[in-house]
Amino acid sequence: MTSNGHLLHARSRGLPASLAALAGTTGFAVWAAARLDGFLDPDRRVPVVALAPLLAAAVIGVSLRSPSEELDGTAVRPWWPRRLTQLAGLTALSAALLPLAVLGHPEVFGPPAMIRNTLGCTGVTAAAAVLLGARLSWLPAFGYVSAVYLGSAGAHSGAATVWAWPMQPGTQPGAWAAALGAFTVGGALYAVRGARPEGPRGGG
Amino acid sequence: MTGLRVRHRGTVALDSVDLTLGTGVHGLLGPNGAGKTSLIRVLATVARPSAGRVELLGRDTAGRRALGEVRARLGYLPQEFGYYPGFTVREFVAYVAWLKELPAAGTPAAVERAVARVGLADRADAKVRTLSGGMVRRLGVAQAIVNEPDLLLLDEPTAGLDPEQRVEFRELLRELGASTTVVVSTHLVEDVAAACTEVTLLDAGRVAYRGTPGALAALGETSGGPGDHPVERGYTAALRAHRATEAPR
Repeated sequence: MTSNGHLLHARSRGLPASLAALAGTTGFAVWAAARLDGFLDPDRRVPVVALAPLLAAAVIGVSLRSPSEELDGTAVRPWWPRRLTQLAGLTALSAALLPLAVLGHPEVFGPPAMIRNTLGCTGVTAAAAVLLGARLSWLPAFGYVSAVYLGSAGAHSGAATVWAWPMQPGTQPGAWAAALGAFTVGGALYAVRGARPEGPRGGG
Repeated sequence: MTGLRVRHRGTVALDSVDLTLGTGVHGLLGPNGAGKTSLIRVLATVARPSAGRVELLGRDTAGRRALGEVRARLGYLPQEFGYYPGFTVREFVAYVAWLKELPAAGTPAAVERAVARVGLADRADAKVRTLSGGMVRRLGVAQAIVNEPDLLLLDEPTAGLDPEQRVEFRELLRELGASTTVVVSTHLVEDVAAACTEVTLLDAGRVAYRGTPGALAALGETSGGPGDHPVERGYTAALRAHRATEAPR
């Protein structure tokens, strides 16, 4: 029953659908990167390195929703290990799959940049799930990365390597620190608090 | 519980509530917004009071360790329990048993027993999404009793049940109440009259009346409150009497 219980828990969190969506995201990233001819001109990979982690983070964020928040609240088992496992597992899978789309050129927009953006976007999304609920958790990361994508072209200051982390080359330490910080804070927040309840809670 | 105060969405849902509940079936009655669901949620340990002390099954629920022990011994059917459509009846009840940390060896038998008690044995392998509203409600009761709880909390358990199912459910309530503390929130006075050993009437977050269904019915007969059922007349009479005493405050 214990292993069966873990399987039921994975199904209760929609894991099969999430895995399928992450595989689809990877396929889309590989297809998009090939069309951009990014191997000859690595800078042209930026849209893929920015967009694919966002899509993966959105898939992960939506999967953090629980359909039975009230019943979850009466569980004897502590939730934080399960939340952490779900978030870390799906993030690790994304970080392993998405770099396949941008192999080579690790110094600019290759696998390191893809992994960093996956961690950063997932961290922001996990924090948003705690504050806004899982359903809208993708929105802040989407807004932030879009704003940075559109607005960071002319920014070259030292601070820009931190706040514009999604658009930095893969070797930039400041961008890595920002993304890792976002993942650590977002992951810890989600593990401890869980996604914000969204279901109806009667007031009768 | 003593001096219980609960806030919900910026308003006071329960205020200065003192209650002691023993073995038996306790009916919670009251108008919409009276605080019935808030009280059940506090008893289920999913909501925390802003003031007051709650002791369940002999343990103060303020402590984290006590919370786990209490949760293992309680069953809870929320108003909206949010099932997993892709699960079968058996899988859903087994999943809740797992969350309750029931011993793995005894879980399959406990699941079969709970499913049979609510009359869903013939649908045990049916997907939850194929069940009718009444069946989903019975599934909710099955998950609440899978651990054979010492404290069973049911929020509107008969909503969506047809008359025959309600009669059967009352029988189950009486059976459970013989050895368990059962708290049932409901709007249906017939359920209270038929199955409850005690009634607590809430109004605007306060206890307006406590007594047996028989005493509530007698109150209705003597006070002449409106209603089609003796308990219904008692309900309106008790509410009016409470509001008359609260008004000057």
